[in-house]
Amino acid sequence: MDKAEKKESLEEMFTALDETVTKMETEELSLEDSFTLYHKGMELLKKCNEAIDQVEKKMLVLDEEGDTHEFEL
Amino acid sequence: MTKNVYTVKQVNAYIKNMFTQDFMLNRIYVKGEVSNCKYHTSGHIYFSLKDESGTIACVMFAGQRSGLAFRMSEGQQVIVFGSVSVYERSGSYQLYAREIRLDGEGQLFERFQELKRRLEEMGMFAPEYKQPIPRYVKKVGVVTAPTGAAVRDIMNISARRNPYVQLILYPAKVQGEGAAESIVRGIHMLGQTDVDVIIVGRGGGSMEDLWAFNEEIVARAIFECQIPVISAVGHETDTTISDYAADLRAPTPSAAAELAVYDVRQVQSYLEETSLKLRKLLGQELKVNRMRLHQYWTRMKVRHPRQRLLDQQQRAADYEDRLRAGMEDRLLKARHRLALYIEKVKALSPLEKLNHGYAYVQDERGRSVRSISGICKGENLSVYVTDGVICAEVREVKEEKHG
Repeated sequence: MDKAEKKESLEEMFTALDETVTKMETEELSLEDSFTLYHKGMELLKKCNEAIDQVEKKMLVLDEEGDTHEFEL
Repeated sequence: MTKNVYTVKQVNAYIKNMFTQDFMLNRIYVKGEVSNCKYHTSGHIYFSLKDESGTIACVMFAGQRSGLAFRMSEGQQVIVFGSVSVYERSGSYQLYAREIRLDGEGQLFERFQELKRRLEEMGMFAPEYKQPIPRYVKKVGVVTAPTGAAVRDIMNISARRNPYVQLILYPAKVQGEGAAESIVRGIHMLGQTDVDVIIVGRGGGSMEDLWAFNEEIVARAIFECQIPVISAVGHETDTTISDYAADLRAPTPSAAAELAVYDVRQVQSYLEETSLKLRKLLGQELKVNRMRLHQYWTRMKVRHPRQRLLDQQQRAADYEDRLRAGMEDRLLKARHRLALYIEKVKALSPLEKLNHGYAYVQDERGRSVRSISGICKGENLSVYVTDGVICAEVREVKEEKHG
């Protein structure tokens, strides 16, 4: 299921972010490497934000035909 | 009438004996509806069991109270286990209860235990089959009644934690006829969508109300579902077969929503912090590098060719100054010396000597004549005196010896 992979990747992205920050914090780096890491981190952050998909959702109802409708209480 | 007269005591004792001798009446299950229930301060409970045909008096003594796990009340259908015996003081018989269970629930409980054992033996509850619940979900399937507290709780909690998560409800019948089938259908339908996790559950109720979640078909549907399932049936204390079969058991529907839906604010603040951290780290890196650059620049400036040129020009100018000064010094000294020499030469001038009667003689080739050697007769000589030259001819050359 590709969905399963996608949501795994959000977790993976967090792991990668942590690694990036830790590397920048602890290692003696050249300026080029620092820039590379910074851009990598910013790219990951952007992807994470996209993955969260910040559109509020209304509950949907699944009918017997497998179609979805908006749910009314 | 005169024969065989018995006392009350005898008769009651006789009848009581008949009851106690009776094997069946000593261990009997009686079912009926509770009426006239009185909890006495002594701890004894007095009540009647009735059905459409009549009633039977019952008592449960304080010493037997461990056989009763609930608060008895009017109208309950119960099954009482005990013995029927005679109360001699009133000459009536009654049921002495040792154990009382709610009717129906007891059977349900036994069915529950039996099914649980069977499914457990099949490995349906085994931890190795449990699927992990994904931490960051986008879509959550919900199988529950479209009305009632459960669906509202799930909606509210989910919206509070993460309004960006899509909930998809399968409106299921959760109690009564056809409830199990409806729940199974919901699991199957949602199992074919792209939801990340499915919550299956309902709010609290009696064991009978929750019974659909103890049906084998529901347990199987949960077990076989390819998508992780969280069960959320009733209250904290209610446990159903579905709970055992599910990948995760939530004590309530609200708790299920908490478990399924991640808190977006936490993630957002983590992302913000990380962004800030990255900026700060890069900023520091840049600052350090700028400082180093500045140091290099300063050092480079010192070594710039122009600087060396300037230095060399300066040196050349210095040399020039020194040279000039040295030269002037020399000249000055030389002039002094010259003046001295002039004085000395003046003092030593042959002209001065010539003043004293001496003369200076030159031969024809301009050589100074100091001896007779090389001087021949007839040679012309120049004789210099103070005021001029005398041109003379050699007439004779004589050698003279001096002591």
